[in-house]
Amino acid sequence: MEFGWTPEQEEHRERVKTLLAKELPENWDEIAVHGPGSDAQTAFSKIFCKRLAEEGLLISHWPREYGGNDMSVWDQFIMGEELWAAGEPRGPQYMNVNWIGPVLMRYANDAQKAKYFPSIAEGSVIWCQGFSEPSAGSDLASLRTKAEKVEGGYLVNGAKVWTSYAGLATHCFLLARTASAGKGAIVILLVDMSSPGVQVKQIPALIGEGDIHEVFFTDVFVPAENLLGEEGQAWEIITFALQNERIGIPRYAFSRRMLDRAAAKLQAEGRFGDPIVRDRAGRALAMCEAARLMVYRVVHQRATQAPQDAYGNLARWAIVQADHAVNDFMTEFMPEGLLGADQMQIAHHQRAIAAGIASGAAEIQLNLAARRYLDLPGEPRRAV
Amino acid sequence: MQFDLSEDQSAILSGLEQLIGSLNIEAPKDPVVSAYSQPLDDELTAGGFFEITQQEGFGLLDGALIVEALAKLPVSVEAAATILVAPAFLEDAGRRPVALVSGSAAVPARFLPMAKTLLVDKGDDVLRIDIPEGAVEEVETLFAYPYGRLKNPEALPAVSLGASRVAELRRRWRVAIAVEAAGLMQSALDTVLEHVKTRQQFGRPIGSFQAIQHRLVMAAEQGQATRWLALRAAWSDSDADAAIAATYAQDATPKFANDLHQFCGAMGLTLEFPLHHWTYRLRALLGELGGSSGSALAAADAVWVKAS
Repeated sequence: MEFGWTPEQEEHRERVKTLLAKELPENWDEIAVHGPGSDAQTAFSKIFCKRLAEEGLLISHWPREYGGNDMSVWDQFIMGEELWAAGEPRGPQYMNVNWIGPVLMRYANDAQKAKYFPSIAEGSVIWCQGFSEPSAGSDLASLRTKAEKVEGGYLVNGAKVWTSYAGLATHCFLLARTASAGKGAIVILLVDMSSPGVQVKQIPALIGEGDIHEVFFTDVFVPAENLLGEEGQAWEIITFALQNERIGIPRYAFSRRMLDRAAAKLQAEGRFGDPIVRDRAGRALAMCEAARLMVYRVVHQRATQAPQDAYGNLARWAIVQADHAVNDFMTEFMPEGLLGADQMQIAHHQRAIAAGIASGAAEIQLNLAARRYLDLPGEPRRAV
Repeated sequence: MQFDLSEDQSAILSGLEQLIGSLNIEAPKDPVVSAYSQPLDDELTAGGFFEITQQEGFGLLDGALIVEALAKLPVSVEAAATILVAPAFLEDAGRRPVALVSGSAAVPARFLPMAKTLLVDKGDDVLRIDIPEGAVEEVETLFAYPYGRLKNPEALPAVSLGASRVAELRRRWRVAIAVEAAGLMQSALDTVLEHVKTRQQFGRPIGSFQAIQHRLVMAAEQGQATRWLALRAAWSDSDADAAIAATYAQDATPKFANDLHQFCGAMGLTLEFPLHHWTYRLRALLGELGGSSGSALAAADAVWVKAS
């Protein structure tokens, strides 16, 4: 047991930092303010991801046979930490490389791999995930979007909601069902967002520009070759995808950066001498570091290829607490930031208030951890 | 970054487990608020466990793993100060058990009834006081540790170790608080998990109610986070990591302890049920070195003020 980095890992982190210092424009904070789904950040992601690809860093954690460099799990995570702390210049494309690509590697056929990998690998494509629906949020298995089997493919009808990045997405990782009930009737379709019948409507929200949308599918034809895996295999694929998605975002890294920034600002303004302020800052710091180590424990598990347990669910709860602690600290002691004085603080606030909701409600993580980590008995099914 | 135990660490903990197993240590049957195990103390001394950090190839992290394992027991033994703090301050490592106080030598301290050495954080100095026989009076407390107070502190000679040692004492003491808290939290949680899986109400185990499940997971998360922060602090031996670990542990303690007792209902208020042996030791740690506020200020100062 030890908690340090190897010289190679330190060097890798420095390389990412140096790249960020070189590639992020002077007005990066203004670009990053509106979140990964904004027009500005999405547009910048295509420039930045192309540069990452040229440096061999965009998909370096992928296996060589898919154009990657077999980068270690830890190196991939170190890069994710630095990028997220910087405001995630990959924009929505972090999803492509973190989980859509790995899911396709495992479940796509050769034709699908040939079709989708090049654009992900060069950083020119935006994917969205068509999961949540008006009546299926945390209870994903009750989704209603229909995929009716027709000659040559599927006819999709239904609506998705809370869909991040859909406004500028070129592809959708869509869940739909071929029959009325059951997880076994769910299929995964890789949908071209320019297909006739796809309509996207942005939802004005507290969490920034372009982040959440409604997506309507009206008689959208999806060719059979765009079915991922086999019919009946979708739930297995979703479970695999969520394992990669849920802990893939080191949100605490951005919170820690914001806390460091807040402390520096309060010191410069002569307000950090107040022990009440330092006390609260110290507690928020402890929450950030707790989240960091909980996540590192999950990464260690992946790096050593240990069987997945419910530790990721615990870690997710720690991440939410860290985001909230930093946001609450700044809201209480630096309210001027949310009154227009600090756009980065507003951006952090917008991410923090979504921390327990985005990527699956935190309460679901608690349910899963209760069952799988603490081995507590399940609630009996209620009589209907 | 390696979260698994090394072979040496596994071997040490395995040896410790055997030693503990040979003593058949169980929660006290009689209703007592605290129980000190002198047989365990004697065996640990004989086995060289208290000197682990002075052995070649071993360090503070290895000592922390021993302290954590001992904290899981339903009886107490003075190990944290001996293993994690004293080596840097005692000329004679054998003058243990070691008690720690801050502010004044006159205030009650954990383990003082059996202590041979008292280290005092005076703020501007560290004092080392050798404790002669009969110098201590016991103090009654719910805190599940033996507590005592010097009868006449002014009469005992104190060795000044200097102002430069204060930061070091606090750093090691905070590591000790966090590591011990991690072990205490784990056993407290295990005890409550067993209870909620078997105790039935409304025809089902109370642990099947979501209202309890969620808070138990939060407690588990606090226990795990405390553990990793504490062990990292032992590994790095840095002021910042130590203060962060203690802040987290002390900040988490009130909700953690209150919730665990809540889930056991009135049973959790009895001395018959062993939960208090861990939660009241946790509550005792909460009040040391300025509590969570003292640690949080130390963390803020170490990370932001001294660095600037």
